[in-house]
Amino acid sequence: MTHADDGSREITVETLARVEGEGAMRILVEDGKVADVQLRIYEPPRFFEALLRGRGHTEPPDITSRICGICPVAYEMSACLAIEDACGVTVPEEVRLLRRLLYCGEWIESHTLHVYLLHLPDFLGYPGVVEMSADHRELVERGLRLKHAGNALMALVGGRAVHPVNVRVGGFYRLTTAAELAQLRPLLVRALDDALATVTTVAGLEFADFEQDAYEYVALRTGTDYPIEAGSFVTSGGGAFPARDFDAWVTEHHVAHSNALHASLRDVGPYVVGPLARYSLNHDRLPPTARQAADAAGLGPVCRNPFRSIVVRAVELVTACEEALRIIDGWSDGGVPSVPVPARAGVGYGATEAPRGVLYHRYELAEDGRVLDARIVPPTSQNLASIELDLRAFVQPRLDLDLDELTRRCEQAVRNYDPCISCATHFLDLTVEHV
Amino acid sequence: MTRLLLGIGNPARGDDGVGPEVAARVARLGIPGVEVATESEPLALLDHLRRPGLDQVVVVDATTPGREPGRVRVLPVGDAHLVRPAAPTGSHALGLADAVELARSLDLLPRRLTLVGVEACTSGVGVALSTPVRTRLDDVVRTVTELLRAAPDSDQVRPPHPSRPR
Repeated sequence: MTHADDGSREITVETLARVEGEGAMRILVEDGKVADVQLRIYEPPRFFEALLRGRGHTEPPDITSRICGICPVAYEMSACLAIEDACGVTVPEEVRLLRRLLYCGEWIESHTLHVYLLHLPDFLGYPGVVEMSADHRELVERGLRLKHAGNALMALVGGRAVHPVNVRVGGFYRLTTAAELAQLRPLLVRALDDALATVTTVAGLEFADFEQDAYEYVALRTGTDYPIEAGSFVTSGGGAFPARDFDAWVTEHHVAHSNALHASLRDVGPYVVGPLARYSLNHDRLPPTARQAADAAGLGPVCRNPFRSIVVRAVELVTACEEALRIIDGWSDGGVPSVPVPARAGVGYGATEAPRGVLYHRYELAEDGRVLDARIVPPTSQNLASIELDLRAFVQPRLDLDLDELTRRCEQAVRNYDPCISCATHFLDLTVEHV
Repeated sequence: MTRLLLGIGNPARGDDGVGPEVAARVARLGIPGVEVATESEPLALLDHLRRPGLDQVVVVDATTPGREPGRVRVLPVGDAHLVRPAAPTGSHALGLADAVELARSLDLLPRRLTLVGVEACTSGVGVALSTPVRTRLDDVVRTVTELLRAAPDSDQVRPPHPSRPR
């Protein structure tokens, strides 16, 4: 923190910890009012969209999965949907189900990582999970068990736990067998119990009194199921549009303090994607056990307190385990692992629900399948403007806190969104300046 | 007793792939009693440490680029806690030092755990190992195999933890 002669203050976190990737936070306070909030994303852009140009239409799933080691399945799935859309191909139901199952593994792995290893230490007052483990060994053990279950599911269906190799445009290289899934079932039954215990644990945490009534939520929605591997866009303001209209609804723009683009929703401005949006727009789509867990946790059908996102993630952990077991129990062998996706000229659009929110891909293909143009909009960049708005509203009534405590709470507020800076640099460290 | 070589890294990110490359080379040697595995994230070390009968573990990972690309550092994990960075240095959630200290806190450390770090030069997307790292591969493999072949009751061996859940 720095104090200037004119009485202003600046609070700075040079490197945000326990977020994915590299970024910083700066808050400027003038005359006792928050004048500016900046999430400075200094992790360099990686130019994946440019790298994709000229590559074959079967390559984007493998290439884009390398954008993130935490949510590679999300990149594979959105890429597959977009390419298949461009080529006019619809995959068989068994492929859709296996994609959803693989995605459940990623949700379990990613949400567990954030809930137990990154976010829970904030609520329990520890600098990190290593320090927390000394006093809360059972919690950490439970989290590691859950993460292991997610990894095992990804390894079985995807070929390996990180950057799965079994996914291809049109389906999979190989379908997982009923016998293999039956072997994994006990692990997921235990994981479901652990996920339910997670909801109970995090529902009992103390949450900041902070609600953002003006949030515009954006998420996918399907006819029947909680959105994971597919769906059309819906907004809390009543908007509804398919993935092919995303470019008309969402505008990305550069801000000087960030290597990650910010996003605006048409006629609205900043908006929120991720667990809070997904849950609030799809509460009626939760599977039975997850909905009971949400009710027992006192969540209600809409959640507008970002600090309670840890509870929503826990409910989504239950959802992912419950859905995985449902798919496994209904699985029968005999389907085709993939369908041909012959190249053709066209533009395709794909959107799926990554753990951190909607991930959108668009590809323009040449007649021979070469990628002419690509656009990838990850969830974290869509949330960045809203995170800054959160900080602005959160800090103002808490300016009397000492700097260390205020900094700690601001970092927690950022972590509410589980930001993935690595993905967004197509992101954190706190500075609060009082001027 | 089983000995494990774990190569950590991302083969698609330049020198970050040195761990998996060393693991592949050691696997081809077929050393009796030695298992070889690769992982993309350090936290996966804990999954391996939960396996029963694991006595000795060598972890190979790339280290932060500095003045001596290709430099090999061998760090036996003893009773002293590793220094952990206050903030992440990459896109992974927890670093290797965090994973080792979490394992220590959960009484999961094997009798002998040795970290072998190879100083990286570049971690660009889609690039191969750099020349300084590639030219040290034989040395790293030799160092790792000597560690794996060494008697587990030699120097720097931690006593088995009495409460270790095996």
